[in-house]
Amino acid sequence: MLGLLKKVLDKYRENFEEGGKLERLYPIYEATDTILFSTNEVTETGPHIRDSIDTKRVMILVVISLLPLYFFGATNIGFQNSIAIGLERSNWENFWFGFSKILPIIIVTFTAGAFWELLFAVVRKHPVSEGFLVTCALIPLTMPAGIPLWQIVVATTFGIVIGKEIFGGVGMNIFNPALMARVFIFFTYPTKISGDKVWVLGPDGYSGATALSIPAAELNQDAFTLLNNFGQFDYSWWNMFWGWIPGSIGETNKFLIIIGALFLAYIKIVNWRVMFGAVLGLVGTALLTNLVAPFSSNSMFTIPPHYHLVMGSFLFGTAFMATEPVTGCHTNQGRWIYGILFGSLTVIIRSINPAYPEGVMLSILFVNAFAALIDWFVIQANIKRRQARYAQ
Amino acid sequence: MADYNLVKGHDIRIAGVPKNSVVEGKAPEFVALKPSEFRGVKPKLMVQEGGHVKIGTPLFHDKTNSQITWPSPGSGEITEIKYGPRRVIEKIVIKLSDEESSESFSSYNPQELNNLSREKILSALLKGSIFPFIRQRPFNKVPDPDIIPRDIFISGWNSSPLAVNLDLALRRRLPQFQAGVDILNKLTDGKVHLSYNENTVSDTLLNVRGARAHTFNGPHPAGNVGIQIHHISPINLNDLVWTVNAQDVVRIGNFFLTGKLDTTLFVTVGGPSVLNPVHIKSRLGSKIEYLLKDNLSEDENRVISGDVLTGTKSSLEDFIEFYHSTISVVPHETSREFLGMLRPGSSSSRYSLTNAFIGSRQKDYSFNTLKNGSERYILPIDTWENVLPMDIIPNALYRAIYANDIEEMEQLGIIECDEEDFALCSFACPSKIDVGGMIRQGLDLMEEEG
Repeated sequence: MLGLLKKVLDKYRENFEEGGKLERLYPIYEATDTILFSTNEVTETGPHIRDSIDTKRVMILVVISLLPLYFFGATNIGFQNSIAIGLERSNWENFWFGFSKILPIIIVTFTAGAFWELLFAVVRKHPVSEGFLVTCALIPLTMPAGIPLWQIVVATTFGIVIGKEIFGGVGMNIFNPALMARVFIFFTYPTKISGDKVWVLGPDGYSGATALSIPAAELNQDAFTLLNNFGQFDYSWWNMFWGWIPGSIGETNKFLIIIGALFLAYIKIVNWRVMFGAVLGLVGTALLTNLVAPFSSNSMFTIPPHYHLVMGSFLFGTAFMATEPVTGCHTNQGRWIYGILFGSLTVIIRSINPAYPEGVMLSILFVNAFAALIDWFVIQANIKRRQARYAQ
Repeated sequence: MADYNLVKGHDIRIAGVPKNSVVEGKAPEFVALKPSEFRGVKPKLMVQEGGHVKIGTPLFHDKTNSQITWPSPGSGEITEIKYGPRRVIEKIVIKLSDEESSESFSSYNPQELNNLSREKILSALLKGSIFPFIRQRPFNKVPDPDIIPRDIFISGWNSSPLAVNLDLALRRRLPQFQAGVDILNKLTDGKVHLSYNENTVSDTLLNVRGARAHTFNGPHPAGNVGIQIHHISPINLNDLVWTVNAQDVVRIGNFFLTGKLDTTLFVTVGGPSVLNPVHIKSRLGSKIEYLLKDNLSEDENRVISGDVLTGTKSSLEDFIEFYHSTISVVPHETSREFLGMLRPGSSSSRYSLTNAFIGSRQKDYSFNTLKNGSERYILPIDTWENVLPMDIIPNALYRAIYANDIEEMEQLGIIECDEEDFALCSFACPSKIDVGGMIRQGLDLMEEEG
């Protein structure tokens, strides 16, 4: 069976190679061929032996680390829906309900993503980059379950084309393409991705405030009391940690996110410094806002640091978005600064920005923009050290 | 005496590690010198096909600096001068005669060595064709003899995979090694630095006088002389230092003590395809066939002159290169695995510095020539940084070279780098980028632009 598959691929190989009829489509053939069978390219010069890791493996492992979030996300959508319509359902029923809602989103994202990736690979004659798998796996997780499918198509297109391909493809992009997709919807169709009405699939007009929007709506209140006394949803710390709350598909279960983050850090694909720095920055800045809280009417200032951690999409952004290696800092010192800046900006945007109580997406894009500058300072320090030595 | 404990790097656990015992090699029928392996040298032949040479007879000189000549590694008849594309002289092959003879130059006793002047030593090295055993940094090439080096560095410890254990190669060579160090001391106004490892037991290395000793510990490339220079006394702008392989220090010393070129070379043969990996007492320029006779598994193999990271693709019919003392053989593999990227991995099928596979860092891994992936964009997940024990930012340097930005390359320290120190970066790179090759490209560009 496998032999047959290989034979078929080998048989048509010549059509796609230089001089073949379908020469232009070679990147597509190559992608299919090497996804099915690992490549048999051999070394020509030293080093004659190579590590077993390749970008395909890296990307597929990131996707695998996201899978639990899909399972939980589907179940939670069903669970929130069952509350909204007042129906008792088992977890399995909740899962299938949610699954039926997010499957179209996944299919549409991957179709649109693959289309653009392959088109650019063919036109620009670069190999199909496996990075689009991660981008497309991330996009649905950042969306509310009720997002119109055509918006997903437009957003994925924007994320892949404007976020990535116009810079020359993966590796050259400045901003995280998955976040570019989300920010596109956020600014063009805000009613579908912000406010109180989009986070739960319920009857028309059903409204449910997210944890962050509760203190944002009140003046001179204590966030801790507000959250724990909120009647509609259980916004206690532990419930937010376990994720049975309204939100984007993949952001709610902090436990699974932490597991995914630890997994990625353990296999050495993402850098723990970014994540550690981000938590540090968030906690530090939150403590500062707590200090100034008595002098301000802003209830957001009163959110304790450990609540900031489990509210909104901070952990999701930290684990899977900010740590994206290409758009982040490339030096270890830079990664600390990058992480801390991200965590700190998140609290600042959450607390001070009156329009929108969540700041993770914007602060990641913001630090993405600064990553190269931070690296520049680290590199300059290295150069200065050397020049000081030359001068001796 | 200083201790350097380096953390970054990696000792590749490749199968076929040479045993710590030396066997006497089979006498080769052919030896050769390969002019094309000397970087930046334009060889001008001094012998003809059919001519007879002795050990140490100059075979060619450099057109740009005719005082530098290269010695014949054997005595006999020149049976072939092989040209490559564009009339590049690839190799000069010598069929050894039964009775070998050597060119003979002045010899000195050890006390006399200290009274020799720099000029006299230099002219002896050049006349005896011994000079090419010395290389310079930056650029890792045969130096201009007229420039006095700041310091001279000798690494007494090979950390590269399957390399010669110098404890064995330098056994009972203290007098020659001492003479070599004395000679080198005369050639520089600075110091002769000798580095070895905390596990070094060689009398020769531990008891030699006149060299400043350093201990380097840690994984490969801590034994690379380039890494050691970087930590002991880095190359600054306009600095020039010399390096000599430890076995060649013995050769230089022996040349002054006896007036003759000692062609002895301790070689390791190792790698997954070698049945009996071992140290061999062989000679310079030996045909590889004689080193590997009846010692290979019958699969299709890649024979490498040098170590698996930095060596040159070679074959049984080819000859060991001038500065190499390792012959590595790995299986040549072209099979393809179904859905390889999804397999969890096992100790026998995967080897990785990341933890992306289960059981992937087992001992005695049977590496092959598969790249295990295709070339992609840079994925900055620190695979390069984690194996480079230098205060150099490899990613930034790579980009500067890629952009042909000479000024930035220089600022980022390219003159301290050599491709051999970056070979592990290419090994570990998930995007299969040839980092060492890029470093070489940058060095070439620097050299071109002066």
